[in-house]
Amino acid sequence: MKRFIALALFSASLVAQPKAKPGDVAVVQVNDRRTNGSFSQLMITLELPGIPSIDVGAMRVLVSQAVDDSGQSLLDSEAREPELETNSRALYAAGDKNVPLTVGVTLKNPARKSTAVKQVTGEIELFIPSKDPNSVAEISKFLSFSGKTLAHRALKANGVEIAQISPTQLAAEKKRLGEAKRKEYKDAGYDDETINSLVSSHLESLLNIEESDVLVRIKDPNKRIQDLSYVDAKGETKRISARDDEGFTILSLWGEKPQPDWKLRVSMKTSKNIVRYPFSLSNVPLP
Amino acid sequence: MRFLIALLLATAAYGQSGVGVEIDDVTDNRVSAGDLVGSLELRVKLTGTGLDKATAARMLVKEARDDRGTTLSDGTDKPDFFPREYNSGTLQLSVRQPARAASSVRIKGSVELFVPSRDPNAIVTVDKALAKLDTPLSAKALKAAKVTITPLSPAGYAETMKTRRLDEKQIAEIRAEGKKRGVSEKEIDQMIGLAKALEGLDSDPPVGAVILSGTKSDFDRIFRVEILGSDGKPIDVSGRTVSTRGEASIMTLAPAQPPPANASLQLYILTDKARMSFPFDLKVTLP
Repeated sequence: MKRFIALALFSASLVAQPKAKPGDVAVVQVNDRRTNGSFSQLMITLELPGIPSIDVGAMRVLVSQAVDDSGQSLLDSEAREPELETNSRALYAAGDKNVPLTVGVTLKNPARKSTAVKQVTGEIELFIPSKDPNSVAEISKFLSFSGKTLAHRALKANGVEIAQISPTQLAAEKKRLGEAKRKEYKDAGYDDETINSLVSSHLESLLNIEESDVLVRIKDPNKRIQDLSYVDAKGETKRISARDDEGFTILSLWGEKPQPDWKLRVSMKTSKNIVRYPFSLSNVPLP
Repeated sequence: MRFLIALLLATAAYGQSGVGVEIDDVTDNRVSAGDLVGSLELRVKLTGTGLDKATAARMLVKEARDDRGTTLSDGTDKPDFFPREYNSGTLQLSVRQPARAASSVRIKGSVELFVPSRDPNAIVTVDKALAKLDTPLSAKALKAAKVTITPLSPAGYAETMKTRRLDEKQIAEIRAEGKKRGVSEKEIDQMIGLAKALEGLDSDPPVGAVILSGTKSDFDRIFRVEILGSDGKPIDVSGRTVSTRGEASIMTLAPAQPPPANASLQLYILTDKARMSFPFDLKVTLP
C-alpha cells in the first residue's frame, strides 16, 4: 500500500497532561468527494501507528489551518466544532492491540486545478479511558436497581448521578405532569371536556417507552458522560441509544430487552483521559 | 443543481416517443488508497412520454472520455435492469475516475427500457408451479425464449449444492490460474477459504423459500420472478438472491410466509421485443 509519512508534532500541549511522545501519522487514504449533491468534502484518513485503536473510546480532529496548493483555504468557516465520535472500530477490534488507530480529517473540497493539499495543521483529540481509573463505571445487574440511584465510585468522582426509574415512579411522574398540564389548560380557560381530551392526548405521548426500554434520570452537571452501553453476560458491548424526554433519559437497544445479568457501562471524560496531539501534514497529493 | 445535458430522440414506438436523459447528480468520488481508485457516478432521470409503461431500465455506456483524453469505460459493462419504481425512477451510471485536470466528460451510450406490454411473451405465469418440484417449468413462452428453470425440492437443492462444492480438481485449477496471473499463494489461500465459507452460507435455504435452478444465461434473461398466492396476487418476498457457480445459477426467493401448495410463479422475461433502446450523448461538467 502506497503511503507517505507526514511529520506529526506529537507534543504535550493540551487539555490533558499526559506526556505525549513524538510520533508519526501516516496518510492511508485521501478521498476528494466532489459532487453537486450532498456530502461534498475532502477526507484525509490518518493512521496513528503508535496508538492501538482498542485503547481509544472516541476521537475528533480539530483543524486550525488547511490550504491547498492554489492558496484556497479548506476550512469550513460555517461548520460547528466537531464532537467526539465513538471509535466504532475499537468495539470490533476483538482485543487486538496491533490494530492502529485511524482518524478522519474532514475539510472542504480543494480547487479542481490544485494537485496537493499544501498544509494542514491541527490537533487530534482522543478519549483514552485507560488513562484514568475513574473513566468507566460498570454497574453489574443494573436492572436490579429499579427505583434506586446507581452507586459507583467513578460516577461519584465525576459528579454523575443516575437513578433508574421504576414503573411505579414513572406512573407517579406521569400523573404529576398530567396534573400540571391540566392546571395549565384550566388557567388558559378551556372547558373540562376539552381539558380531559388534551390531557389524555398529552399523557399518551409523554414518556412513551417500550417494554424493552429503560428509563433513568441523569444528573451530569459537568457534561462528563461520553457514552452509555450495556455489556451482556458474554462480555459483548451493546451500544445504547439515549433520548431525553421531560428531564428523563430513555435508554433503548432498538427493541432488544436488556437481561438481568447485564451490566450498564458509563464512560466519562475527565481531565486525565482526554489527550490532544498536535499534527501537521504537508504536500498531500490529491487523487 | 440540475441541468439538462442532452435529449436525444429515438424512433417513436409504442408510446415511448423519445427518451431523454437529465442529469440529477454528478459525483466525482476521487480516492487514493493504495490500488484503490475512485469513480465518476451520475444519477440520471429519464424524460419523455410513455415511460410509465416501462417496468425497468438501464444505462449502457459505449464510450466515455474526459476532455484530457482519458478513457473512462471500455464499453463492456452491462448492469442489470433496475426497477422503475425504485429511487423515484432515477438510474445510476458509473465510469472510471476522470483525470483531476479534466473539466468535463463525454459519455455516449444507450438507455434500455423493459416494456413487457410490447410482447405477450414477456410475462409468463406458470400455474401450480411448485406442485412438480425438480421438474423444469413448462410454458410455451419459456420454451420460445429458450429459458429453462427448475423449482427445486429440499432434496433437489441439497443434491445441487453437492455438485457446486469445490473439489480438489477445481481447487488445483484455481491455484494454477492464480499463479498464472501472478497472485500470491497467500491470496490464493484466502480466496479459496472465502469460497468455502460462502459454500457454507448456501447450505440451508430459509424455511419456506422457493428455490429455482437454471443456467446463468437463463437468469440473465429474467428480470423478476413473483410468487403468486391463491388469490393471484404477488406474495411479499423479503429476500431475493442469485448465486452463480460457473454456468449454474440458483435463485432463492424468501417469502414472508411459506407459499401455498397451489402457488403460481410469474416470470418477467427480457425478450427482444419487450426491450427498447434509445441513444444518449452526455457532456458532463465536472464538479
